[in-house]
Amino acid sequence: MTVQEIDQRIRSRLVIKYNPRSFIVFLLLFPACAWMAFFYITPIAMLVYNSLAEDGLSILSKTVANPVYRSVFATTLEIGAASTLGCLLLGYPVAYALTVSRGALRGILLIIVGLPYWLDYVVRSFSWMVLLGQRGLINNFLLYIGVIDKPIQIMYTFLSVCIGMVQILLPIMILTLFAAMLRIDRRLMTAAAIHGAPPWKAFRTVFFPLSLPGVYAASLLVFISSLGFYITSALLGSPKESMISQSITLLAATLLKWSDASALSLVLLAITMAIVIVYDRVFSIDDLWGGKDA
Amino acid sequence: MHKTSHSFALGTSVALILAYLIFPIIVVVGISFNATTALRFPPNGWSLRWYEQLFSSSEWTGSFLISLQVGTLTMILSVLIGVPAAFALSRYKPPGRKLINALLLSALIAPPVVRALSTYLFYVPLGLNNTIIGLAIAHSVGGIPFVVINTVAGLRSFDTTLERAAIIHGAHPFIAVITITLKVIFPSIMVGAIFAFMQSLQELLISIFVLGTLGSPLAVKMWEGVRVGVDPTIAAASSMLVVLAAVVFGIVALAKLATDARGSARAGAGE
Repeated sequence: MTVQEIDQRIRSRLVIKYNPRSFIVFLLLFPACAWMAFFYITPIAMLVYNSLAEDGLSILSKTVANPVYRSVFATTLEIGAASTLGCLLLGYPVAYALTVSRGALRGILLIIVGLPYWLDYVVRSFSWMVLLGQRGLINNFLLYIGVIDKPIQIMYTFLSVCIGMVQILLPIMILTLFAAMLRIDRRLMTAAAIHGAPPWKAFRTVFFPLSLPGVYAASLLVFISSLGFYITSALLGSPKESMISQSITLLAATLLKWSDASALSLVLLAITMAIVIVYDRVFSIDDLWGGKDA
Repeated sequence: MHKTSHSFALGTSVALILAYLIFPIIVVVGISFNATTALRFPPNGWSLRWYEQLFSSSEWTGSFLISLQVGTLTMILSVLIGVPAAFALSRYKPPGRKLINALLLSALIAPPVVRALSTYLFYVPLGLNNTIIGLAIAHSVGGIPFVVINTVAGLRSFDTTLERAAIIHGAHPFIAVITITLKVIFPSIMVGAIFAFMQSLQELLISIFVLGTLGSPLAVKMWEGVRVGVDPTIAAASSMLVVLAAVVFGIVALAKLATDARGSARAGAGE
């Protein structure tokens, strides 16, 4: 093989390989991928690596075996599940109303649903502290109508944490459900009505089953988000309602126990990732971005 | 009859749920105008004293400045990095698209405390802790997905014949994208940018870890304030933020509405 032949080969390969289109795609995508890889994935990967490199899996098993941490994880999952259920019960009717409404009414409903997003999380919890306290609006109202004869304890309980969390997570639930419900062909409901089904029956046997994939998707999304909550449980709950993010912050920032904090972060991350993977297997992450054509 | 009773039940429950949703906003705005120190709702008298206190306190204005710097930098970084990626994802359908989508989505739902802890430890050797740019970089990870989502949505409704027309008439494709496409989808990019700014403004844990001694952005200042004791100044500060956000968002929504109307008018004329 002569030098010219080799040169020829390389050239022909280059011609095949070099495609201006894929070069443009590379240029456009490279900053985002590199940025996320360096400032988001690498720190987490290093956290995982460091806490595993120190003493292997023993730190993890020690963490999981610790009864204090286990109960905190159990509390976190409980609060997450209760808040998700609350969001679903309150979010479904609103999402359905959004689906059947149109024009200006839908616009107004969407604005109201989106409005709370602009209020800081700390301040939202703060407003519940004012409302749910011993001499707050709720207790005063209940005293006034005579349901109770002395103030009841709402603040610093499981209930107050859930009230605060549902308020924050509800918009995510509503908007995800709404996006899913919009894809349901509503002519099916009309068909059911024509064939004599009363509205409630048409809803129960046609619309509701078709909305279930959206229900699962939205619930998992809300549940995952709820696991990382910190502010709400810290301000509205008692030490009994301590969530895992509070423990991690306490260990790292106050007690300076970095390896324990890292190990707990690892477990939290593992739970979150496991749910995301199941989510993707069952529903496909692409659906969240507005379908396959996104 | 049957049908109306159903709609009535639905309407009532939806109204109650929406009331629950926006109740905290009403309470906070109410408290911010309260005349006394007591955190009472409904307030027992009206005054502007908490707003006066807010603007005359150098601590609050300092926090506001830090938040503004971090938020603006976050917004700029997110747009510069997110918009090109959105173009690639929506126009070229590159391989590995699913992985990139998963990466962006995961950044939105990753537990904040894990990100805070890992970013802090990662920043120690880099010397990025206690810097504004360090915090803005960490926040941009959460801002980029918002910019990508909104820009992809804008590009999907964009009529590509406009861009092609410009190219046919001799414009360089790059110039056509800058002068036509970016201009038309600008409101969508702005919506993404505002979300990026807002998530930076509200983010607490990364701010606490990364910005330890340099100063407190608003979220941290409010957090410390609520923990220490009762202070309606916090309510005043957050009411200001709500109004600010509502105004900016209203302007963007109107701009978007105007572009959409133009788009549909054009589509109508074409039919």
